[in-house]
Order: sequence, then C-alpha cells, then structure tokens
Amino acid sequence: MPSASDTTTGAAPAGAAPGGATERRSRFDTTLLGGKIALLVVVGALVLVFPQMAADPFILSVGVVIASYAALAVSWNFVGGFTGYISLGHAAYSGLGGYATALFITRADLNPWVALIGGGLLVAVLAVPIGIASLRVRGASFVIVSIALVLILLLVAQSWASLTGGAQGLRVPRPFGEDVLRPEQHERFFYIHVAFVVVALALWWAIDRSRFGMGLKAIREDEDKAQALGVPTGGYKLTVFVISAFFTAVAGGLYALWFGYLDPIFQFSILIGSYMVLMSLLGGLRSLMGPVLGAVVVGYSLEFFKVHYGDSQFHLVALGLLLALVVLFMPDGILPAVGALVDRLRPEKRTSIREMTAEDLLEHNRRLDGGTGTPEGTATPAGSGPGATDAERDLATVPPREEQR
Amino acid sequence: MTSTAPVGGATATATTEPSLETRGLTKSFGGVRAVDGADVTFHRGKINALIGPNGSGKTTFFNCVTGMIKPDSGKVTLGGNDITGKPPHRIAAAGIGRSFQLCRIFPRLTVLENMLVGVRSPSVLHRMGGARNGDDIAKARELLRRVGIDHLESSEARDISYGQQKLLELAGVLMVDPDTIMLDEPAGGVNPALIGRIGTLVRELNAEGRTFVIVEHNMDMVMSLSDHVVVFDRGRPIAEGPPSVVQNDPRVLEAYLGV
Repeated sequence: MPSASDTTTGAAPAGAAPGGATERRSRFDTTLLGGKIALLVVVGALVLVFPQMAADPFILSVGVVIASYAALAVSWNFVGGFTGYISLGHAAYSGLGGYATALFITRADLNPWVALIGGGLLVAVLAVPIGIASLRVRGASFVIVSIALVLILLLVAQSWASLTGGAQGLRVPRPFGEDVLRPEQHERFFYIHVAFVVVALALWWAIDRSRFGMGLKAIREDEDKAQALGVPTGGYKLTVFVISAFFTAVAGGLYALWFGYLDPIFQFSILIGSYMVLMSLLGGLRSLMGPVLGAVVVGYSLEFFKVHYGDSQFHLVALGLLLALVVLFMPDGILPAVGALVDRLRPEKRTSIREMTAEDLLEHNRRLDGGTGTPEGTATPAGSGPGATDAERDLATVPPREEQR
Repeated sequence: MTSTAPVGGATATATTEPSLETRGLTKSFGGVRAVDGADVTFHRGKINALIGPNGSGKTTFFNCVTGMIKPDSGKVTLGGNDITGKPPHRIAAAGIGRSFQLCRIFPRLTVLENMLVGVRSPSVLHRMGGARNGDDIAKARELLRRVGIDHLESSEARDISYGQQKLLELAGVLMVDPDTIMLDEPAGGVNPALIGRIGTLVRELNAEGRTFVIVEHNMDMVMSLSDHVVVFDRGRPIAEGPPSVVQNDPRVLEAYLGV
C-alpha cells in the first residue's frame, strides 16, 4: 500500500526532461518507494506484536483505545478528506452504531457480530435522508447542521429510558463470553480494530484512485465547477456520506462490544466528533494515513495527559495547545509537511515549475511553433507576427507564485 | 439574417439551424429583474457572442442556461430538447461545456488531475474505474499539448500563472467533449498575446464543428471572432446580427455610451 504522502504523484512528464534528470529522478523515487515500503513493514510488524510487548493490560487497553480512535478517524475521513465537508457531528453515527449493536443483542438476541453489521447497515439507511437534508448546505452551515443531529440524539438517548437505559446507561454483553478474561479480550479487540482500519483504508485508497474519487476531490476544491464539468455532485456526496456513516457506526459498535457499557453523554458528545476532525486535521486529512497518524498522536496524548493530570480537565487544555501548535506550523497536517520536506531533498524538483532548464524551454518553444500554427485562411485577431513570440513567452516562462484572488 | 462570417471563414457556412434557444427566460433577484423575458437564439456551428454593458444580465443569463441558477420562468432548449432548470451536471452531459467569469480551476489538484475530473461517465461501473487510466490520460495530455501547457502537468493548478489557468480551464472543458462551449469572458485579465492565442483556439475548435457562445467585453475580440452577436441590455436582447451590423446599431451605441 503506498504511503499517504504520494497522493499527487503523477506519471513522470513524458519526455519533457532531459535524460540525465529523468534517471536521477527515478532513482530518487525508487529510494523513496523503498523507504516507504520498509516503513510500512516495520510499522505493520510493530502493530502486530504490540499486544505481546504490552507490559500490562492497561497499556494494552490504551492500544485498543487508540485503534478505536483510528477506526473513527479513518471512517470520518471518507467525507472530510474527499469532499471537504467538515462534520463535527459524526458521534451521531458512532453512538447510533453502538446503541443499535447493543440493542440488537439484548432485545433481538442476535449474534454480536451480526448485530454489529446490522447496526452499521441500519445507520447507513438512516444516513440517506440525513445526508440528503444536510448536504444541501456547505461550509459553516453544514458544520452546524451536523452538530444539531448529535444534540437531538443525546436528548433522545437520555429521555427514552425504556429503550436506551436513559442516563443510567446501557450494558452490552461481552461477545466472547465470560470465560475470556479481560487481557485476552483486549488483545482480540486490538486485532479486530486493526483489521477494521486496514479494510477502511483499503476502501479509501481504492476510492482515491477512481473516477468517483476524482469527482469527490473536485467537489472539495470547487463544487460548482465540478458540477459544470458533469460530476453528479449530489449523488457523489451522498454516496460517500453513507459509506462514512456505515464505517463510523461499525466502529462505534466495535467500541460498544469491547467496552461493554454505553453512556449517552459520552456516546453522543460533540467532543468525540471533534476528536475525529482534529485527528484527521492533525495527521493530514487529504492523505490516506493522516487520520491514523493523528489518532495515534491524539489518542496517546490524551491518555498520557490523563495519567499525569488525573481527573482534571487539564488534558483537554494540553491537547488544545498541541493542536494549536500543529495548525500554526503545519496547517495541512503532519504528513503533508513531511512530504514537502522530502520533496526538498529531491534532486530535480518536480513541483518547482519556475526552474525550467534552457533545454526544456527551447524544446517547448520548438514544439509550440510546430504544433499550434493557425489553420489556413484564418487570421489571428491580435496579429500573428510579434504576437506569437509574446504568446510563447507567456506560456513558457513562469512567474513567481501569486496568491489567487 | 445572413450567414456570412465577416472575418475568418474556416467554419462551414451553410447551416443556421438553432443550437441553443431561450424563450421568455426570466430571473429576478429581489426586486431586480436580472434576466427579463429573454428570447435568444444561438446558431449551431457558429461562434456566437453575447455582449452588453455591465449589469445587463449576461452572466445571470449564462447561469440560467447552464443550470447554475434555476430561472423563474421561461424555457431553454438545446437542439430542440428542453433543458430548462436541469442540474448543471445533466446539462453538461447534454453537451454544453462552460468556463467561469473569474477562471475557476481546482487549485490543489495537479494540472493533469484537473483534466481528469471532466469525463462523461456512462455507467456506475465506469465511475468506479481508475481515474488514471491510459485512455483518459492520453486524451488529457493531447488537449494540454493543444493549449500549450503540457509541460506543467504535474504542477498544482494553483502554482501556474493566471493565463495558464485560463488555458487549463478551456482544456478541462474540452475533456467532456461538448458540442456547445460557453465561455464567460475568455479574454478577461489576460495579456493581448494570449487573447490572440485563445481566439485561435476558439476558431480551430469551431472549425471542428463546435458551437461557441462567448460573453466578452473585449470588442476587438468579439468583432473579429464572432459570426453572430447578441447585444444585451437590462436583461434582454436589444439587437442581434453579424458584428459589422451590430456595431453600428444606434440602440447598441446608446446602451453602451448612454447617448
């Protein structure tokens, strides 16, 4: 699986660069790819042996919490990363997924894993009308609409005590039975969460490569323009929204099965929804692995601060400071910042269009002369004599980057 | 009305069948009638121009035709088919491509990725297919070379110059293979040499059979390029015809100069 930082890597420009540069460039890319694969193998191995290396069940449970955060953040990023619609209310779907899973087990006597998928599907169906209504508005309005749903569900879960247990909370039966002890259960859930994250990442990656994904990214950049180019924006947004709601709900259901207890205040909280956004922003929401990295940083920091500052709310202050620093110095997130750093080491800078070599320019101008002459019998309005030279100059030389509008 | 093109004769001249028509098209914002019962006919295979003073409703008219704004009343037909009030992506699929007044591209996608957004997808399966497939990329590179910015394909679109962005926008519209191309101020904010280059491209594309509708303030460009000019004032056409006739029409002079 390629690393997240290569999302904009295109095929090398065909025959544009002189031979030497191409060779060096590809060698650098080969090294980079090798490094990425090595990193992936090492990180993957570390994740797989983590439960064996964890010193005690507490550390193991922190691992599960972080994996659960990663599951939520990756699920959130289907909408946030592709379309740029920032939902602060995704706790609605994780909470609903948790409650649906729990109630399917306790009320309908379903197998826990069937209940988990059933909960996800139920939320996906509910997400259709919710998506149709909320995706009509953009930007800040969408954020507010997304929050409203969480608040409504919080009230419902607290008030409808006969179904949800109200403020008393809801107990969820342990899926592996009573004879599987806590540490053993932690270990199993750690692997289940990791598997879930891998599946979600694989789907994100596949969408990223598809025409569908290109349309979604176009919506993020300029929705009207995308629609004018034939992208059915409404259908695309709704589809990815439902996918995101399904995965978020399953992640919420997994949490319910692992933790064994649901409290409406915690399930339907703005804070959980904000964590999903912050983790993705921190890691880089336009990158595949960004939300995972963000989940590790935020999840670890939260547990670390909680251990050190006890029951006070100081862990939130510390987390806020951390985020402020990242947003100040790496506005696009950690992974894009690292990617930019790596690009600086590149011998031939692919992104720098200002450094066209003399040969490139010469060849380009030659091609312009040959390729785009005016057809017979038509006059160029601006006069083709001196104008043509100007046109070439305009096309071939690249001014320093200007801020747009 | 005559079908003789005043300047440039690459276009096949015989046809004057309507391509894009509006009847009684009306759109108000609050108390302002931006488009006021406009009956306009653009001709297939021609370079049609839409001109008029600032605030005469050209861009609103444009947006009503391309589905960005739903008209209050009236009708838009393309080759006889009613497309009134359809969403923009359906109108794009019906064969109308458009550019925007202040050039709009996807700033954080690369030039090549910008090109790959606009692909007509016949089926769900097609949409699930890879965006970076050989056919689409070959077509995108061909069009980028045609407008002269193929050397920039892996640059982010926000990093290229404004003139290059204008060319990118035009090339991106061509990816959808539209029969009718509507350009909103293609010459706005670009240097004279590039205006000439855009004019040449329009002429070439028109010679291949594409219909153009161009909103433009640059009179040199309008008069030298277009076959048919429609003059807008206060939300409706006040004159139309070949450029040589229109530019001497007293109503046009009045609308522009206020005399």
